[in-house]
Amino acid sequence: MTIRNIVFLGMVFLGVVIAMVPENTTKPYKLTAEEMVIEVQSAAEMVSADNVAHWLISKDPSLQLIDVRSPDEFQKYHLENAINIPLSVILEDEYRDIVDQGVKMNVLYSNGTLDSHKGWMILRQLGFENNYVLQGGLNYWFDTIMNPQAPSVYSADEEFAKYDFRKAASGALGGGGAVTLTAPAKTKAKKPPIIRKKKKKAPEGGC
Amino acid sequence: MGPLVPQEIIGANWNLFIAFAIGVGFGFVLEQAGFSSSRKLAGMFYGYDTVVLKVFFTGAITAMLGLLFFSLFGWIDLNLVYVNPTFLGSAIVGGIIMGAGFIMGGFCPGTSVCAAAIGKVDAMVFIGGIFLGVFFFAEGYPLLKDFYMSGSYGPLKLHEVLGISSGVLVLLVIIAALGMFKLGEMAEKKWPREEY
Amino acid sequence: MKTKYMNPYLAGVLLGLVLLMAFFFSGRGLGASGAMKSVMVTAVDVVAPEHTANSDFYGKYVGEGKSPMKAWLVFEVLGVLVGGFLSGALSGRLNWKIEHFPGISSNRRLVFAALGGILFGFGAQLGRGCTSGSALTGMAVLSVGGFVTMAAIFGTAFALAYFFRKNWI
Repeated sequence: MTIRNIVFLGMVFLGVVIAMVPENTTKPYKLTAEEMVIEVQSAAEMVSADNVAHWLISKDPSLQLIDVRSPDEFQKYHLENAINIPLSVILEDEYRDIVDQGVKMNVLYSNGTLDSHKGWMILRQLGFENNYVLQGGLNYWFDTIMNPQAPSVYSADEEFAKYDFRKAASGALGGGGAVTLTAPAKTKAKKPPIIRKKKKKAPEGGC
Repeated sequence: MGPLVPQEIIGANWNLFIAFAIGVGFGFVLEQAGFSSSRKLAGMFYGYDTVVLKVFFTGAITAMLGLLFFSLFGWIDLNLVYVNPTFLGSAIVGGIIMGAGFIMGGFCPGTSVCAAAIGKVDAMVFIGGIFLGVFFFAEGYPLLKDFYMSGSYGPLKLHEVLGISSGVLVLLVIIAALGMFKLGEMAEKKWPREEY
Repeated sequence: MKTKYMNPYLAGVLLGLVLLMAFFFSGRGLGASGAMKSVMVTAVDVVAPEHTANSDFYGKYVGEGKSPMKAWLVFEVLGVLVGGFLSGALSGRLNWKIEHFPGISSNRRLVFAALGGILFGFGAQLGRGCTSGSALTGMAVLSVGGFVTMAAIFGTAFALAYFFRKNWI
């Protein structure tokens, strides 16, 4: 067989193959399974309810709460300034700029933590940064922030400080706790750094 | 994985070295194919030598297939590959002017560099002409700017326009190319040439 | 008839692989005229720096922190020179000559080469790339501009072939 015929046959064969396989323009998963195992183990995606309450009260502009529950549930109750992105539509284009960005800190929440974690895992595997999960979810939020229980008298001082903060937060956020005027600044919430989105470098080209 | 430099898998300072290495391969292949001879290149338009057609289309198709398969295997992120933006007006008129230059000069810029490398004086003169042409464009740029920017469609891809998958488009290009290769071979038989 | 050049289809596959490597490593295709633009811009900048600083066109390439010669295409074209030379040396094709159809004079060939170069240089700037940068690379990434430029270049060359036939056949 001549080189010419080998090239012709090769082109036709590969052309038919490529015409038949589905298109793959990008590799969707940026993180490998092994990398995900490490991330999940470190639990760095969790942010505590206390921290979120603190940021909410101080009106931290870089905080973005994302409610991944259904619109119905969102209507009934949602955290202040939260936006509703149900799990079923989390990958749709209109939310892309919210879940994949480099200026805000997204905190996903659901009633428990199951759905918020599902959302987080999807986004994380796509390589998106700055998405977090509210530890304990809304249920825990209600127990601790909205209706804080006074610690027993034998508790450590910091437990009381936490309780004071929660009560104050509860008042500020419209919960059932008594309103006290203790400054909430006692627990200085440390915030994970916001990872700036790596700009996709449009490669230069042309002649 | 790829492209390696835009993803910073290879440092950007390697980019120019890579450019040089790729250029060596480019020049070597062009010269081996006979693109250092203007008579061979011009033969394309008189039917006595269609090596341009064969090399050009085989090369383009190989790269198309390569890109799509690399993307399929996850070896390259096509979003990070530069796609020439389409400016319809300037692409057509620029192409027409280049076509006239091709039939008169017998080279295109890449092949003229390659031919100059092996001592073709006509290629060196051609390169001198290119410098002048660029100079004329640069000086006339204020007048040409509006037209230069007209008909902008951004990085538009042909299969998107046609509404087919990229794979099907490549297959169509392959079929069309095979037809042209056949025509070219027939033409070469009809107008035989002496070797030079 | 045996040709001393490489089989064109094999050469085409190799050309495609070189182009693919350019995409894989640098995320961009091949080119040629861009390097000549860099040389031109640098030369004008040396001769008349005020002129380049005030120009829309040159201003894109020169100025603080910009060095037109430190460009990907410049190094690639230097590589083309070396690669072409190596290939010519291996195949015994190194010699000074003005190649032309025996029916015309050397001078006529040179005049037409210069005219062709001027047109190509001008057209490549207008069309944002030459046969390698716009047509070949553009086609490989399925860019509409690439196909259009390719069709315009080859279509025009075919259409004008009749008028310049005395130069070639």
